[in-house]
Amino acid sequence: MSKEPITLELLNPRGEIEPPPVFAPAPRVADLAGKKIGLYSNGKQGVDNLYTVIEELLKQKYPDVKTTRLTGAFEIRDDEASAWASEVDTFIYAVGD
Amino acid sequence: MFIACDTFAEATKSASEDNAMPTVRFRTVTSAEFYRVRGSVEEVRPLAKGVIDDLIEALTAPLTAGEKGPGQVKKETDESAPVTVTGESYESAVEEFNRVFLENLWGDGLPLVPPTPERVKWMLSGTSRSPREAIGKVSPKQGVATVEKIAVNAVMAGARPEYLPVIIAIMEALTNEKYDDRHVLLSAGSFILLIVASGPIVKEINMRSGIGFMGHGWRANNTIGRAVRLTTLNIGHIWPALNDMGLTGRISPHTFFTIAENTELSPWEPYHANRDFKTDDSCVTVASIHGHSPMHNFYGGMIGTWNAKDILDRIVESIIRSDRWMFRQWGSKGVGAIPGSGGGGNNHMIILFPELVSEFKKMGYNQESLQNEIYGRASVPYDELSPEEIQGIRTGMEIGVVPPDRKEVFEAALKPGKTVPVMVYPDNVNLFVSGGAPGCAFSFNYYRIPPYNYTALMTRKITGATLTRAGTNNA
Repeated sequence: MSKEPITLELLNPRGEIEPPPVFAPAPRVADLAGKKIGLYSNGKQGVDNLYTVIEELLKQKYPDVKTTRLTGAFEIRDDEASAWASEVDTFIYAVGD
Repeated sequence: MFIACDTFAEATKSASEDNAMPTVRFRTVTSAEFYRVRGSVEEVRPLAKGVIDDLIEALTAPLTAGEKGPGQVKKETDESAPVTVTGESYESAVEEFNRVFLENLWGDGLPLVPPTPERVKWMLSGTSRSPREAIGKVSPKQGVATVEKIAVNAVMAGARPEYLPVIIAIMEALTNEKYDDRHVLLSAGSFILLIVASGPIVKEINMRSGIGFMGHGWRANNTIGRAVRLTTLNIGHIWPALNDMGLTGRISPHTFFTIAENTELSPWEPYHANRDFKTDDSCVTVASIHGHSPMHNFYGGMIGTWNAKDILDRIVESIIRSDRWMFRQWGSKGVGAIPGSGGGGNNHMIILFPELVSEFKKMGYNQESLQNEIYGRASVPYDELSPEEIQGIRTGMEIGVVPPDRKEVFEAALKPGKTVPVMVYPDNVNLFVSGGAPGCAFSFNYYRIPPYNYTALMTRKITGATLTRAGTNNA
C-alpha cells in the first residue's frame, strides 16, 4: 500500500531587503603620469609595508606621480575623508585583514 | 578600487553591494602569502610586484558599459515567498526541510523546527503586536525585522509563544538606530552578545537564573538566544566567512550568552530600575562583548572561602587593568561622524551572585552606590600617568570623546595629587545579579563607543505580552 507524500508549507525566514540605490564608480584616469594617487588602508598591520613597495613601483613607472596615504579604520572622520578624496585623482583602498 | 585578501573576496563583494557600488573594482592577493610576508618591506616586495600591473590597469582601464550602468542590486531570493518541501513521510519531509534551509544559508547548523503557518500563528499568539509591525533593520543588508519574521525564526529556534515578547524586545534594542549591530555581528574580532532579562517575566517564563544559568538545558534561555541568532542571520542575510568575518567563529554561537537576573534571591532592585525603568517592569538588556577570553573572573564560592571586600578589590583591579591602556586611545578621532568611535573607555557588564550581593548590602551598598564606589576606585593617580596618557585624555576632552557633561570631572582630576577615573561615567559599571549558591562573580566588557554607531549597550522594556502577567503594555 503506497503512502501519500507529506508536503510541508513553510514560511520564509529571510528579511525583506529594499534594493539599495546604485552608483557607478568614478571614471578612470587615462594615465597615472603626473597624477596624485591616494593609498588608503583600514589600518591593519602590514598594509603600510605593502604600500611602501607600491609607492616605489609606481614611482619607477611614473617618476612624476605623487602619492598620499590615509589610514583608518577607526581614525577617519567624514569631513577628513571628503577632504582627502577631493585632493587625489584616484585611489586604492587596501583591506589588511 | 579595493585590494583585499582572497578570504575576504566575498565579503568585499558583499560590502560593495551593501554600500551601493556593486561594480567597484577589486583585486585579491592570497591570504596565505600576504599574512606570511606582510611583516617587512623586503618580504612583501615580490607580492607587490606581482599585483602592480593589475592595480594600474584597475585604475586606468575605462569603465565597461556594465560597470557604468550596474542597475539595481539583484535580490538573492524572494523573501516573501513561502517554501514547500515534500517527503515520503513526516520525518523525511522534516529532514528535507532542514537540508533545504541549511543549503540556502537559512539555518544555524543545528536541526530546526519547521516554521509552518500554524506554528507561526501559535508563536504570534504570544504578542498583541501586529505581525506586520517593522521592529527595525539588521545589518549588513538592512533586512526588515517584522514581528512575523521574528516569529518565523523563533519557531525555527524551538521557542515558545510566551518568549516572543522577550525576543522582540531584544531585536528592538539590537536594531535601534543608535545600536551598533554591524560590529558585533560581522567583525573579524568575533565579538558576541550578552543578553540579560530582568523583572517579573523571568520567573513567569521559567528562565534559569540559578546554578548553571549560562549553560545548556534551559529552554527559555537557550531558545530565546537561538531565536535572536536565527533572526539576525536571516533578517540581515549574514553567513560566516561570507560577510560575517569572525575569524574564530563566535563562542556560544547558537544562543549568544542569554541569561536572566535572579530576582528571587537578589536583595537589590533589578538592574533596569537603576536605568530609568520601573522596578516592576520587565526588560531586556543587550550588550556587545568581546569574544576572545571574554570573562574576567572574580571568584566566589567554588573552592576557597571568599569575602565581599576581596571580590570588590578584584573587580576594581580588573577594570583598571583592562581600561588604563585605553587612555591613549581617548585621543583617537573615531570613524565617520562619531567622535572616538571604537574606544573611549569600556562598558563593564559585571555579574554578581546573590550571596555576594547580600554581603554588599550588609556593607551598605545598593546597586547605585556600589556602581559609584567601583567607578571612583577604578582610578589612576595623576602623578603616575605618562605624558602620552595625559595627552590622550586631554585630546579626548577636546574632540568630544569625553562628553561636555564630564569635562568638569576630568579637568578637576587632571591635577597633581588627584586620581583620574579610567571610565567616563559611573553608568559604565553595569551590575547584574545572577547565579545560585554557591556562585561566582565575573564580568564582560566592550567599548563604550562602538566603531560604527553610538552605543552597544541598551535596555528595552518588554511589551505586548499576552500569555504572561508581566510584559503586557500595562505591566
